[in-house]
Amino acid sequence: MAKKTYLQALNEALAQEMEKDQSVFILGEDVGQFGGCFGVTQGLFDRFGEGRVMDTPITESVIVGAAAGAAASGLRPVAELMFVDFIGVALDQLFNQAAKMRYMFGGKAKVPMVLRMPQGAGIGAAAQHSQSLEAWFMHIPGLKVAIPSTPYDAKGMLISAIRDDNPVVFLEHKLLYGVEGDVPEESYAIELGKADIKREGTDVTVVATSRMVHSALEAAEILAKDGISLEVVDPRCLLPLDTGTILDSVRKTHALVIAHEAVGFAGPGAEIAAQVAEKAFDYLDAPITRVAAPFCPVPFSPPLEQAFIPGAGDIVKAVRALR
Amino acid sequence: MSHSKEIMVKMYTTMNRIRMFESMLQEYFAAGKIPGFVHLYLGEEAVAVGACSCLTDRDSITSTHRGHGHLIAKGGDLKLMMAEIFGKSTGYCKGKGGSMHIADFDLGILGANGIVGGGGPLATGAALAAKYKKTDDVTICFFGDGASNQGTTQESLNMASAWKLPVVFVNENNGYGISCPQCKSMAVTDIADRAAAYDMPGVVVDGNDVLAVHEAVGEAVKRARRGEGPTLVECKTYRWRGHFEGDACTYRCTEELNEWMAKDPIPRFEEKLVESGLATAEELEGVKAAVKKELDAALEFAQSSPLPELSALLDDVYA
Amino acid sequence: MSLAAIVANPASGKDIRRLVAHGSVFDNQEKVRMVRRLLLGLERAGVERVLYMPEGYGIVPRALNAIRPAMAVDALEMPVRNSQEDSIRAAEIMETLGAGVVIVLGGDGTSRAVCKGLARMPVLPLSTGTNNVFPFMLEATVAGLAAGLVARGVVDREIACVRSTALEICVDGEPVDLALVDAAVYEDVFVASRAVWDMSKVSKLCLTRCRPDSIGLSAIGGQLELIRPEEPRGLAMDLGENGERVVAAIAPGLFEEVGIVHREIMAPGRLYPVGHAPCLIALDGEREVAVRSGSQAAIRLILDGPWVVDVGRVMEAARSRGIFVRETSAGRDFRPIRE
Repeated sequence: MAKKTYLQALNEALAQEMEKDQSVFILGEDVGQFGGCFGVTQGLFDRFGEGRVMDTPITESVIVGAAAGAAASGLRPVAELMFVDFIGVALDQLFNQAAKMRYMFGGKAKVPMVLRMPQGAGIGAAAQHSQSLEAWFMHIPGLKVAIPSTPYDAKGMLISAIRDDNPVVFLEHKLLYGVEGDVPEESYAIELGKADIKREGTDVTVVATSRMVHSALEAAEILAKDGISLEVVDPRCLLPLDTGTILDSVRKTHALVIAHEAVGFAGPGAEIAAQVAEKAFDYLDAPITRVAAPFCPVPFSPPLEQAFIPGAGDIVKAVRALR
Repeated sequence: MSHSKEIMVKMYTTMNRIRMFESMLQEYFAAGKIPGFVHLYLGEEAVAVGACSCLTDRDSITSTHRGHGHLIAKGGDLKLMMAEIFGKSTGYCKGKGGSMHIADFDLGILGANGIVGGGGPLATGAALAAKYKKTDDVTICFFGDGASNQGTTQESLNMASAWKLPVVFVNENNGYGISCPQCKSMAVTDIADRAAAYDMPGVVVDGNDVLAVHEAVGEAVKRARRGEGPTLVECKTYRWRGHFEGDACTYRCTEELNEWMAKDPIPRFEEKLVESGLATAEELEGVKAAVKKELDAALEFAQSSPLPELSALLDDVYA
Repeated sequence: MSLAAIVANPASGKDIRRLVAHGSVFDNQEKVRMVRRLLLGLERAGVERVLYMPEGYGIVPRALNAIRPAMAVDALEMPVRNSQEDSIRAAEIMETLGAGVVIVLGGDGTSRAVCKGLARMPVLPLSTGTNNVFPFMLEATVAGLAAGLVARGVVDREIACVRSTALEICVDGEPVDLALVDAAVYEDVFVASRAVWDMSKVSKLCLTRCRPDSIGLSAIGGQLELIRPEEPRGLAMDLGENGERVVAAIAPGLFEEVGIVHREIMAPGRLYPVGHAPCLIALDGEREVAVRSGSQAAIRLILDGPWVVDVGRVMEAARSRGIFVRETSAGRDFRPIRE
């Protein structure tokens, strides 16, 4: 199997779906000739033309809303916002329009759109270009929230997201774009809402998302040397959330650490912790622990930014504290 | 402008369907029979009817919180609308949407909207879809004077014009954004002036003259079908009722209301139809009687329909 | 006291000809700036008081937000109905109160409304509308100066003005309306969006003036005859499929070829019947009068139309008398020097 980066995997997913289905098109800021802010749509403009890879004005509300309107009219748009942080100016079109159309209209609307948004800190982009906002989207019935951690997952999940008849928020971590992994050439789909056990283990379950999956795997290596066996569960999708896989793991290991880059307070881990506390409390031998960013905006200066971002060391510390 | 008897009488009929539908809601809301709240379209009938009479079933509209008129003018089923507004399971949205969230995708009704300014981007997207699919379908985006100050509306005008999308922005300027008069909310009198900023035609018409609206929107629709891009048609009109039923309307005076009620679009049209010999007064009375019957049936349907089963609560969150 | 008057129409320059032709959008902010310059011109000419028509937007009050001219500027006391009737009524009141000139900001339609309310007060129409055959495209500063000199009587009306002819519309023997430039018989029954652009529906056209360099319906006659506004004759044409073909700019950016089946010079006072009813009569480019079936309508050229200020002639009179020339500086003296 060929090694590809996360970015190449996403690019390949887009190209394959556009090849297969004429109703799929891309819109967003600088997604055309420029190839997208981080290069995800590179080459697609030349291949599919400006009719299917559309450079929009800087107009996030209309990018999201026009995607919703076009989706409701029978197309499958893939919209890109340069940074998840920009969703603030477009949020109404996502959570009041796209997400609610089907329910409000009694099941008659279909809104098959994907909204791709890079998130995460680590490139010195500071407070308005570095957040991890997945918890916002998890709170909205009608949306799906995909947050792949590997190139393999990125491709298969993006293909699924495009084929899904619901609005899918697709969150990519900027620092993952360059990560390499095995990615098949052919098209394949990974069902949204199915977690993946990235490493099997017996002692502690670590539920990690996005870039923190890699930190969790790193922590697992470190702790293995001490004879501590981590099971790393990647939900891959936060909405729907595969609670079954998480609960099964916890019932096996009796301990849970949740790791994500979003701030801890009311972050995605709060929901995961609540689910486990409600449904598997008796299996827990220790309190649930969360490894997450501190409750502050993402700082700019490199040492501060590094202090903000949780990492493998924090997971190791959290696991050791359990024992 | 084509004015066959058939089209003209149909427009007259639709205006009366809206008028009587809304009057019925007014009555039943006051009697406590309708849950939630309703925003009535009384007095603005000429805009919806003049505009939608330029469209076919393949064309789309996006509507507003004051949407009943648009939906009826686009062919919405009175029974299903009435049942929805009464919160019944037989309604358009199985009682999930209510007054502000009725849609009928088969008729190109992409939904009323509870968010002021919410429809612009959606209409832009629907028009983008028509262009993408290489059809000559057109979308009308209805929006109010209040919505014209929202960024979403201005952004939609901009992108629709930059991309020459087949959308007609029909502004219903009724002078008030809830209680705030236009003179306090914007420094211009004519929303149509804003079209120039996006290099699209902007036209002001008498929104209480159904034929003036029909003619202007008709030309704009033709332009859109030819691929020449969007148009902004501002229709000056007035809502007879408050922003919502129950609004005491302390922010406006009776004289103003009376002045506008004297410009009631329905008798104005009636007079023209009779004067021009396209219809007799008796025929038009017959139209009203038939509409009344239709509405009685819609009301009966709504009232006798069951409320939704509680088991339906979680249905249709996802496709 | 020298008194000038302003009618600025906030509704002009916004009709459907921006959609079916390529008319400019004349936004009200531009009218505000024009009135500002107009007021400064009137002030410089020594006018002591200005009256204006109140309207919904407040063009004149907004103009005063940025300038403080040394004269009283007052709104007429009248109800605002936001219709043509406002302009007619305002013109009547202004003349009654003794204004020496009325400056109109609008298109042909606004000018027509004002002139309907006038008896002898001179009018200076400035173009802020669509076709603008009657109103002038002029810099408002100079228009204000000239209007001020007329208002103060510094330049005599006979020198300053041209008396234009007009068209009177009669239905069943009664005069019902007035056109300044053109009256067109329009084969339709609904006024709808008012403007005229579908020439296939125009069966008859009467003109008070013909110039080859004009725009609008009168441009058609302008390719055939030359008739000045003050000449005691007009042009009546029957339009149809046959006959000589004329190409003319009937609206901004909109050329049409029309067939002229018959044409004749109109004699003053004579009634030219419109033909069959029902139909509409469009006045100065706007569908206006509905002629019901069974009614008899006719168009007549009248000689006692409005007195129209000719800015060129006023300013030439001022120059020849050296009104704005002096030997030494007098500081901020707003009065003309030699009167």
